[in-house]
Amino acid sequence: MKQKQLLTSLLGLLLLIAACSKKDQDAIDTTYPEIDVLTAGAFPKQCSEVQRGQSFTARIHASDNKELGSVSIDIHHNFDHHSHSTEVAGCNMDAVKTPVKPMVLIQTINVPGGQTSYVAEQTIHIPADVDAGDYHFLIRVTDKEGWQTIKGLSIKIK
Amino acid sequence: MLNMDIVKAGFIQQHLGGSLMQSLQRLPGVKTIGIGSGQSKPLIRGLGFNRVVVLDRGIKHEGQQWGADHGLEIDQFTVQEVEILKGPASFTYGSDAIGGAVNIKRPPLPAPQTFGGDINLIGKTNNNLLGTSINVYARTQRWMTTARFTLQDYGDYRVPADRLYIYDFAVDLYNHYLRNTAGRETGLHLNTGYIGDRVKSIFYLSHTYSKTGFFANAHGLEPRQVDVAMHDASSRDILSPYQRVNHFKALNHTSFQINQHQLELESGFQNNVRQEYNHYVNHGYMPAIYPDSLGIPRNLERAFDKQVYSLHLRDHLQLNEHKVEFGLNGELQHNTINGWSFLVPAFNQQSWGTYIYDKWNLTQKLLLHGALRYDHVHLAMKKYTDWFPSATTINGQTQQEYLVRADNINRSFNSVTGSLGFNYNTNRWELKGNIGKSFRVPIAKELGANGVNYHYFSYEKGNTYLKPEESYQLDLGAAYDNAVVRIQLNPFFNYFSNYIYLNPTANHDYFYGAGNQVFEYAQARVMRYGGELQVKYQPWENLSTEVLGEYIYAKQLSGDKKGYTLPFSPPASVLFNITYRPAHTGIFTNTYLSVDYRVTAAQNNIVPPEKKTDGYTLLNLQAGTRFLIQEQQAELSLQLQNALNTRYLSHTSFYRLIGLPEQGRNLVLSLKIPFSFKQATQP
Repeated sequence: MKQKQLLTSLLGLLLLIAACSKKDQDAIDTTYPEIDVLTAGAFPKQCSEVQRGQSFTARIHASDNKELGSVSIDIHHNFDHHSHSTEVAGCNMDAVKTPVKPMVLIQTINVPGGQTSYVAEQTIHIPADVDAGDYHFLIRVTDKEGWQTIKGLSIKIK
Repeated sequence: MLNMDIVKAGFIQQHLGGSLMQSLQRLPGVKTIGIGSGQSKPLIRGLGFNRVVVLDRGIKHEGQQWGADHGLEIDQFTVQEVEILKGPASFTYGSDAIGGAVNIKRPPLPAPQTFGGDINLIGKTNNNLLGTSINVYARTQRWMTTARFTLQDYGDYRVPADRLYIYDFAVDLYNHYLRNTAGRETGLHLNTGYIGDRVKSIFYLSHTYSKTGFFANAHGLEPRQVDVAMHDASSRDILSPYQRVNHFKALNHTSFQINQHQLELESGFQNNVRQEYNHYVNHGYMPAIYPDSLGIPRNLERAFDKQVYSLHLRDHLQLNEHKVEFGLNGELQHNTINGWSFLVPAFNQQSWGTYIYDKWNLTQKLLLHGALRYDHVHLAMKKYTDWFPSATTINGQTQQEYLVRADNINRSFNSVTGSLGFNYNTNRWELKGNIGKSFRVPIAKELGANGVNYHYFSYEKGNTYLKPEESYQLDLGAAYDNAVVRIQLNPFFNYFSNYIYLNPTANHDYFYGAGNQVFEYAQARVMRYGGELQVKYQPWENLSTEVLGEYIYAKQLSGDKKGYTLPFSPPASVLFNITYRPAHTGIFTNTYLSVDYRVTAAQNNIVPPEKKTDGYTLLNLQAGTRFLIQEQQAELSLQLQNALNTRYLSHTSFYRLIGLPEQGRNLVLSLKIPFSFKQATQP
């Protein structure tokens, strides 16, 4: 009899523990931020072309269910066709080549606090003397909780 | 005594997986962090990496266990008996055993006046593995020698999928093969020593080597375009990226008997070298063309070289109802790094500890035990400067700077830990309880990381001011056994006052982090609880059923990720088993047929950068028998793993974040044939 009671109470304890754990899972945010690279105002888009010696304005449309963190952009060459591209449509690529003076740009864009939707704008100057060709335009967006979404676009510097 | 599972070589033979921990993950509360089909490391009740100690024949195994793409460098064919301690075991094994310990015991000695051995042949259909492990032993009355050679060669493993998406990037798989996940490994072992009446001393020499490929279409989280024709030409070749791991060990175990004292001295030297090879990719500010003048091989992305000297002295003493163990541990580590990518600085580490452990048989039924331990650890990290300049803009002027990633930093840690517990045994019941404090000193990566892990798009930043982790744990155990039914329940409750974790922040760093998300080491209060339930019901002698359940819940109680769980939290799961052991099978003996059906729950309790993982069910079948070959008992084992070719993701796999499914159907065959040149004379 005693043994049965003990067994029942132990199983009861296990059930109690299992029940407790359900409570606060809804309170935490598990939603990744979003980057819209297709919307009308967004630039660059997949397969966009930009000119050497000129400037262009990058416009990153980012959103999050709670609060955005920060935006980071990165331009690096893809002369070796290494593909970070997360977009389905491929672009016309130049032949594989060896870089001489490829453009490298790394920039972080602060997002003001409390935003759930934000258009990060950044003027980017492309020096006249960099290698023309295929590049990647990598966008990283975080939210306040530390979830990160990455989009990789293929662009061409003419 | 803590909650412990003991597993023998027969279990490993019956459930043989790609690596030791994969063979053991059938046990409740034991999971693995796996990479590919041949490598994994332990995850005990949701804690892994440097929170689990692997003890190999008395000496702590030291590899690069902090890395997610690291596998335990143990040849599973050498393992005759292994104890898995679920719960904090720092008081005997030191820092790092805060989550548990895997204790690989010394193999039993061959019987006197014998000479023989065995050959193990292994074949697997999923990754076309072919392997063998050959063992030879010889012993006179006083002297013994055993030697083992293991060789395994496997191809790319296959998954039940034709196409995968890494982010949105589509990857088509050729004949379901995960490109470049092939590998090969060898193990060489030589043990020799003297067995006297009062003195015993045995040397253990071993060298394990493995070369394994990483999935070619993604290195870490980064999708890669690959030369499909080149990769699909052979499923057995290993191309870039790949890793090479060498682990050498020279251990000695000596014991003396002096009056009531039994003294044991365990000493060892280990050298672990892990090299990661990859095509040079100029991430961030690295130059587009790799310079020839650097003196680092062009394809060597990272390398870690670890040399460890260990010493462990123990005295066992019987004093009336008290069994006392007194011990001293010391360890010296020398770590160097190489490669064009930087993550963790080189460092030296010295640690020593002393402990006393008392088991007190108060009555026939009641045993009390307690332990007290003191530890001191000193860590000296070495300066590292980037070999390439990074760009920064100050007052509109672009400047170039060679970044200092790590400085010469020294840290010392002291710690006092202990535990108290009881065991109460009656005819049918076994009750136990244990309460203890454990600790873990921060590792060099947690203190001194300052580099971009391009496999994860993360800039990992250490924190020199971290305190040693402290953990308080209550373990309970109740078991009931009446020969037909055995029920065992092992709940635990665990509290960390300062759990160390890598916190993905909301920020990016354009200078040190080359535009990547900042992942910073931080400390938080953490609560964890859970447990295991084991039920075995044996209505008839030849039929038994078993239910093994496990559950873990973890929650951070403070800090930036308050409310979130801990990374790599395994989902709840239940395993149902039916085993049939026919009694009369002619020339065949010890025959068994066994079905394992595992139901794994979804894991929706996640923390950045994890992804929710769906639940799944898996069916595994095992069968085996023994028969005589030349008067020797040969052992044949067959397994059909993932019998239904289920496509599923393992929440704790290295490849989970890029969504690679686990191995598909796999038929595993293993045949063990003993041979003998000289048998022990029957007394």
